[in-house]
Amino acid sequence: MHGMTSYFIRRILLVPVTFVCITFMVYAIQRLAPGGPIEQAQARLQQEMAAEGGAAAAATGDSALDEETMKELQRFYKLDRPIPIGYMIWLGVWPDRDKGGKLSGVLEGDFGTSTRWADPVLDKITSKFPVSIYFGLIGYLASWLVCIPLGIKKALNHRSNFDTATSMLVFLGYSIPGFVACVLLMLLFATDMVYKIFPLGDFRSENWDTMWAAGEYWWCVKDQIWHTAIPLVGWMLASFATMTILMKNSLLDNLGSDYVRTAFAKGLNERRVVFVHALRNSMIPLCVGIGHAVGLLFAGSFLIEKACNIDGMGLLGYTSLLQRDYPILMGILVFLVLIRLTGNILSDLILALVDPRVRFS
Amino acid sequence: MSILTTVLLYALYAVLLAIGAAVASWLVFSVVALALWLVSLPVRLTVPKSGLMRLVKAIQLGLFGAREAAGFVLGWIIVLLLPVLKYGGLLALIAAAGYAIWKAPMILLVFALSWLVTWKLIPWLWVRLERLFGGSGKMTPITKKRVARFRRIKRGYWSFRVITTLFVMSLFLELIVSGKAIAIYYDGNLAFPAPREWVDKLAFFTKISSFEKASDFGQVGDQEVDYRKFAKWCDDPSELDGVKKELEAKLEKNEKRFAKMKPPKPDAPELKRKRYESKQRSIAKTKVDLAELVETRRKFEGGSAWVLMPVYPYGPQDLRTDVEGSFPLKPSLAKGIPLGTDTSGHDVVALLTYGFRISFLFALVVAAIGYAIGIVVGGIQGYYGGWTDIVTQRFQEIWGSIPFLFTIMIIGTMVDRTLGLMIVLMVILRSWLGITYYVRAEFYREKAKDYVQAAIGAGVSDRKIILGHILPNSLVPVVTFAPFGIVAYIGALVSLDFLGFGLPPGTPSWGALLGQGLGDNLTHYPHLTIVPTVALAISLYMVVMIGEAVREAFDPKVFSRLR
Repeated sequence: MHGMTSYFIRRILLVPVTFVCITFMVYAIQRLAPGGPIEQAQARLQQEMAAEGGAAAAATGDSALDEETMKELQRFYKLDRPIPIGYMIWLGVWPDRDKGGKLSGVLEGDFGTSTRWADPVLDKITSKFPVSIYFGLIGYLASWLVCIPLGIKKALNHRSNFDTATSMLVFLGYSIPGFVACVLLMLLFATDMVYKIFPLGDFRSENWDTMWAAGEYWWCVKDQIWHTAIPLVGWMLASFATMTILMKNSLLDNLGSDYVRTAFAKGLNERRVVFVHALRNSMIPLCVGIGHAVGLLFAGSFLIEKACNIDGMGLLGYTSLLQRDYPILMGILVFLVLIRLTGNILSDLILALVDPRVRFS
Repeated sequence: MSILTTVLLYALYAVLLAIGAAVASWLVFSVVALALWLVSLPVRLTVPKSGLMRLVKAIQLGLFGAREAAGFVLGWIIVLLLPVLKYGGLLALIAAAGYAIWKAPMILLVFALSWLVTWKLIPWLWVRLERLFGGSGKMTPITKKRVARFRRIKRGYWSFRVITTLFVMSLFLELIVSGKAIAIYYDGNLAFPAPREWVDKLAFFTKISSFEKASDFGQVGDQEVDYRKFAKWCDDPSELDGVKKELEAKLEKNEKRFAKMKPPKPDAPELKRKRYESKQRSIAKTKVDLAELVETRRKFEGGSAWVLMPVYPYGPQDLRTDVEGSFPLKPSLAKGIPLGTDTSGHDVVALLTYGFRISFLFALVVAAIGYAIGIVVGGIQGYYGGWTDIVTQRFQEIWGSIPFLFTIMIIGTMVDRTLGLMIVLMVILRSWLGITYYVRAEFYREKAKDYVQAAIGAGVSDRKIILGHILPNSLVPVVTFAPFGIVAYIGALVSLDFLGFGLPPGTPSWGALLGQGLGDNLTHYPHLTIVPTVALAISLYMVVMIGEAVREAFDPKVFSRLR
C-alpha cells in the first residue's frame, strides 16, 4: 500500500500547483482585457450624466473622468497593482492595503465584491449551489437508474433486435447536445405545437414560495417536478450514451471471461452467475465515474441553464461574463477547478478501493 | 541521429500526414483553379509581359474576365468530361435527361465534381503523398482487411460516403446557394461573379473582386447589380414596364415641384441656387434613364441579355426584403422561402447550408491539427518515457483541468473572435489532449514488442523505428477516435454560438440560429429551432454511425459467451 499512498499524496500535492496555474492564467487574461469594469463604469457615468444634465453635461462627458477619478477607480477595482502582485492579493498571500494591510484573499475565504451587484462574491455563488446540486444529483441518479438496467439488458440480448434498436436510440442521444434536446422538448411539449404539458423553462413557478408558505405542499412538489422534467432529460443525455455502452461492454467482457465459465461449469444457474458474479465486476468502470460526477454536480450546466432559464451557477457565470463581472467569474472558476481536481482524485481513490487489482504508482 | 532531429523530422511527418486530408481538398481546388487559368493562357498572351508583377496582377484582376470566357468554359468542359469519360455515357445521359429543367445540370455538375474529387482525386493524392514520404502507397494486408470490414458495415459506410460527398459539395456552395449570378451577359459585357467569389474564397491569400456595377448591366446606379431582378427581366422583359412606371411617376412628381420653383436670381443665397440646380440635374438624369430604359428593354427582348443564376439564388448575407412581412418570416413555399428567415431576415436555406460547411470545416481542421500535435506528444511520451513522460503527463493533467468552454468564453469577450481564433483556442485547450493518452499507450505497448526490440538491437535509428515501425501500427486509436472527436467539436462550436461567444456575428451558424429561437420565438417561430436541431441531429448521427463502424472495423471485439 506504500506506493499507493505516496501516489495519492503526490496527486494531492499537485492540486495547489494546478490551481495556481489556472487561476493565474485567467487572472492575467482578465487584467489585460479591454472592456473591464472601469470602461463599464465610464460608460454608465456618461449615460447618467447625459440623462441628468442634458446636453451640457453630455458635451463635457469626455472629461467626466479626470486623472484623479481614474486613479481612484483603478484603486477601487484593484487594477492599479502589477499583475503578479494583484494576483497575490487576490489569492491572499500579499497584504491588501484596502483591508488595513491584512492578508485577505481567496485563501482567507474573501473572494472580493461583485462589480455589478456590489454583493460579496462568495454569497452570490453559494446562493446558486442548491439549484445546481439539485439538478446534478437528480440527473446523475436518474441516469444510473436508466442506464444500468438498459446496459444489462443490451448485454444479455447482444445482437438482438432490442439491442440494435436501443443502440440507435443511444447513438441519437449521443449526437444531440443536451441543451439542444431541451430546446426541442420545450418546443414539442411546452408550446402548443404538439401538446402543452410542461412549463416553458424556469426553475419553479413564480408564486412557489407563497404557495409553500401557505401550506400547499402537494402543489409545490408537483410544480417542482413539472419544471424539472425537461432540463433533467438534457442533463441525463450528457452521460446517457457513454454510461449505457460502458455498462454493456463491461458486462459482455466479463461474461466471456474464465471465472464466469468456471461458475457455469460448476453448475450455478444463469441468473446467479450474471447478477452476482459478473455484474459486480462490471460495475467497476461505472463506479469510477462517480468521482467525475462530482464535477457534473456543479459544472456543465451553462447551456441547459441558459436554454431553460434556470437561475443556477451556469446562468450566473453567463450573465457575469456578459457584464464583465470578473470577481464573480474568478470565483466560479475557483470552484470549477477545485471541484474537477477533487473529482479526478476521488475517481482514482474509488477505483483503488473497489478494484484490488488496480495499483497506482 | 540526435533526439532533436528525430523529434523535428517526426513532427514534420506527423503534421503533414494528419493535415493532409484537410489540405488535400484545398489543394485539389487550387489545382483546378490553376488549370482553368492555364487553359485561358492563350487568350492572355496578348497581354504585354512585364515581369512577375504583371503575372500576379493578371491572376488577381482578370481570372475570369470577359475575354477569358472561352478559356473558362473550356476548363469546365474538361473537368466535366473527366467523370463522363470515366463512367461511360452514364453521367452524360443523366445530365441530358436533366437538361429539361435548367437547374439539374448545375446540381449534377457540382455533384459529379464532388464525387470525383472525393473518391478519385483525394485517394490518389493521398497515395502520392505517402509515396513521397517513402511509403509504399499500397495498403498493408491488415489495413485491407480493416477497410473491407468497414465496407461491410453498410450503415457506417454509406454515412461516410454521403457525409464526405456532401462536405466536398459544400465547398462549392458559392456556385449552388448564392445571390450572385454564375454567368451574366448584357450587351457585350460578360461576367462571372459567383465563380469569382468562389475563387476568392479558395485563394484566401489574395483578393479577387466579384463586384459588378449595376450601370454596366442595364440597371441604374453605382451599386452592385441586382442579379435576381436581372434574371426576372430576362424571363419577362415586360417586368421593365414597372420600372418605367416608377421612373415616370418620379419624373412627373419632380417636374411638378420644379414648376413651382422660381429660377433664383443671381444674387440669391448659394444654398438656394444649388438646390435649384440639383433639381434640374435630377430631372435631366431621369429623362436620360427613361430613354435608356427603352434601349434596355429592346436588348432584353432581343436576346442580348442573359443570366445563369445559382440553383438557390439567395446567399447567407442577402436579406429577404423581397418578401412582405416583418422578420423572422415563417416558412412558405408559395412565397419562395422554403425554410423561412431568421430574425434579421437572412434566408434559412443559405444559413443551413453554409452553417454545415463551417461546422464541418471547423471540426475537421481542429481534429487534424489537434491530432497531429497529440500524436507527436503521445509518441514522445510513449517512446522515450522517463522524465519527459512524467513532466509532460503532469502538465497535461493541469491543462486538462481547465474548464475549456468557460475559458474560451472569457477569452472571447476580450478579443475579436474569428474562425481562426476559435480553431486555435479549441486545439490548444482541448483537441490535442484526449488522443495523447491513447497514442502514448500504443507507443508504450509497441516498443516492448519483439519486432521493435529486434530493430533497436540491429541498430536501426530512432527515426526509422518511430516512423517506419511503430507509427503505422499505433494509428488505430487515432482513426477510431476521430469521428467522435468531430461530433464533440461540432457540439462545442454549436454551444459557443448558441451562447453568443462563438464565431463572429454575421457568420452563418447553426448555434446562432438555435439561440434566436428561444423564448417567445419558440412559440411563434418554431422553424428557428426545428431546422438547426434536425440538421444537427441528422449530420451528427451519421458521423456517429461512421465512428461506430470504424471502431468495429479497426478494433473488433469478439464477445464469446457460454450459456
